[in-house]
Amino acid sequence: MSADKLNKEKLDEMLGHALRKHTEQVPADFTDKMLRQIRESQEQKILARVVLEERLALAGCIVLVIIAIAATVVLPSITGSLTQQVEGFVDKISKAIETIAWELNFYTIFMGAFGFAVYYLAYLLTGDGW
Amino acid sequence: MADEAEKKESGGWLDKLLAGDHEAFAEFVDKYKSQVFLCCRTLGLREDEAEDVASETFLAAYKAISRYRGQAELSTWLWSIAYRQGINYLRKNRRMQQLLAGPDGQAANGKQARPAAAVQDKEQEKIVWEAVKKLPRLWAVAVILHYREQKSTKDIAKIMRTKQNTVKTYLFRARKRLQELLADVIGEETDVGR
Repeated sequence: MSADKLNKEKLDEMLGHALRKHTEQVPADFTDKMLRQIRESQEQKILARVVLEERLALAGCIVLVIIAIAATVVLPSITGSLTQQVEGFVDKISKAIETIAWELNFYTIFMGAFGFAVYYLAYLLTGDGW
Repeated sequence: MADEAEKKESGGWLDKLLAGDHEAFAEFVDKYKSQVFLCCRTLGLREDEAEDVASETFLAAYKAISRYRGQAELSTWLWSIAYRQGINYLRKNRRMQQLLAGPDGQAANGKQARPAAAVQDKEQEKIVWEAVKKLPRLWAVAVILHYREQKSTKDIAKIMRTKQNTVKTYLFRARKRLQELLADVIGEETDVGR
């Protein structure tokens, strides 16, 4: 075996042996610091998400208002017919409520009178024994 | 049987780690922090800089751990993050020229001082580390990964994001330079061995 090859083998062996033993100084509280940083970054992430959601909601409201205004300006025919439909719908609802209320009154009075009549008829026929 | 139990336990630990469990992550940091610091220091970062870059490395690892699929060893995966963070730090601080030069931009010349007697283990470790520190940073990283971490050239290439042939060149040149730097120590060791 040549001296050069022997030296190379010796070098490889020495490098492996010495470098495996070598360690670098690590601050004692490094792991704790890391965990603290991770918790902080998670909290910031959650906070950022909440802020983003709030901003999106606000943006949504603003966009909706802008769309409504734009629609009345740019598409008056559509918004006009839509308004008429909505108004018609509201009218129908109010009429239906009025009708039901009137009929309800009528039925209430009718049922009251009917009940009064039935009660006194029964009283007349059966007397105190009823 | 013990191996199986160990494997199972380590598998459970890895699952917890992938799920973002803090305790498992603390264990992960404890296990690999010295390697990450070594990577940073080998790239020529000062102690305070190494701590910052190591923190960035573990934060990046925590964010990316759910995407770890086990295609590479966990240590290889972490080394690649640490290496990238270190390089980014040097790039940000305009110190990239350090990577292919010796420390402080000087060429690595001059042999190590001859030890007085048979080199003791601790002394040898120190001498070898001093010699490695005199290498250009990229060669030094390749040497550490090859001799200390016992990574294959394929893994080293993956970590350093370069070609396998480039890694082989780094290792060849580094070995040659180290042979010059450590000539006296090797000679003495050989003499003692005879």
